[in-house]
Amino acid sequence: MNPEIANFETEMNRGFLQILVLALLENQMYGYSMVRTIRDLGYEVEENTLYPLLRRLEKNGWVKSKWDVSEERPRKFYAITDAGRGLRSELLGIWRKQNEILRNLMKEKTHV
Amino acid sequence: MFKKLDAYLEEISHFLSGREEREEILSEIRSHILEKAEQESGQVTEASLDRVIAAYGLARRVAEKYLDGRPIIAPAYKRYLFRYTTLLFSVHFLMTVVAVLFKRNFIMFPFIYMPRLGVIEAILYLPTAFLTDLGIVALVLYLITQSGKDIKLPWPKFAVDLDEMKPRAQSALLSRIATLIGMTVMLALTSFAAYLYAKFQTIFFVSFNFTNPRPLLMPEAGRQISLIVIAMFAAGALSLFVKLFTSSRWVDVVSNGVSLVLIGLLLRQPFDNPFAVSVPAGLLAKIKLGLTSLLLFIAVMVTIELIKNLILLGRKKLAK
Repeated sequence: MNPEIANFETEMNRGFLQILVLALLENQMYGYSMVRTIRDLGYEVEENTLYPLLRRLEKNGWVKSKWDVSEERPRKFYAITDAGRGLRSELLGIWRKQNEILRNLMKEKTHV
Repeated sequence: MFKKLDAYLEEISHFLSGREEREEILSEIRSHILEKAEQESGQVTEASLDRVIAAYGLARRVAEKYLDGRPIIAPAYKRYLFRYTTLLFSVHFLMTVVAVLFKRNFIMFPFIYMPRLGVIEAILYLPTAFLTDLGIVALVLYLITQSGKDIKLPWPKFAVDLDEMKPRAQSALLSRIATLIGMTVMLALTSFAAYLYAKFQTIFFVSFNFTNPRPLLMPEAGRQISLIVIAMFAAGALSLFVKLFTSSRWVDVVSNGVSLVLIGLLLRQPFDNPFAVSVPAGLLAKIKLGLTSLLLFIAVMVTIELIKNLILLGRKKLAK
């Protein structure tokens, strides 16, 4: 991919990934399972990007975490909080509005 | 247990030093890498770990994603680093010149301590002073950035013009021709002065004819002052010669620096009465005061030019 387009994609992904993670965590999940689920959805996320994002969301109280040590390998599970649901709803509103603006704009261009 | 994984985590840990949640971060990365290696290869081996670690990324890059990324100096304040350093250094520079001229030490507590300096010591002292000034300004801007407050730093409006990266207006050809003429004149002047010096050990005369010229200055004073003036002509010619090939402002900066050193040397001449002709005491004092004032005026003008060139160079570097 053209490096300039790759840079734009990284910028666009930043916001999208936050919404995606907040949407996924309606059911509690651990990091590796999230990476796989996201991949199965047809999207790629770098592992070393996902964990710092989860940490930032947790720091702000939008997700919570808990270590599960009952299995042979300890896993850290994440789940969305009520504050996180509020944020997700706001972000989805912004995303819808942006989509609508672009759709209308493209429609106008097609008519010209 | 897994040497490569431990070494990798140790490296990340090194870059995360000082963060209280470091252990938690490392545990999570360890858990992820082990699980991925097992899922992808059926079992955890050094070879499978190698692949997973390589895919996870360089330790420094991984650690950086956990750091908040706040800059040491906010982008809006970056240009002030050079502005204020230049300002502070010019004060320092002027005080150094004064300390050399008046052969005194003085203190502006707690900002500046200026020891009594000779010309050579002053030249060696100035780079240290510059680094100190840069450090002080950087520290202040760092503290302002870290405070997170929206502080508007003062800077005179007229000085903003100096920041503008305006291309030189003259056409390249005209500028080259002017430089070539200037260089020819300076070269002729230098050659003629060097010829006079080689023949008569001075370039200053009361009346001049080639068979019996009458020198203006005493032999020792004539020799020393003539050499400094010839060096000034030569430096001018050399700088114009270099400017024929490059438009870099560094040429101007070096030329300004050399001129200041030579003016300093002229001002330091220890002669009570350098004249070979009889001059009344009252007039001698006035001539000396007049010459000193003239040289100081030239030094100040050259210093202003030097500061201007340094600001423009600094702006160019920041713009890049």
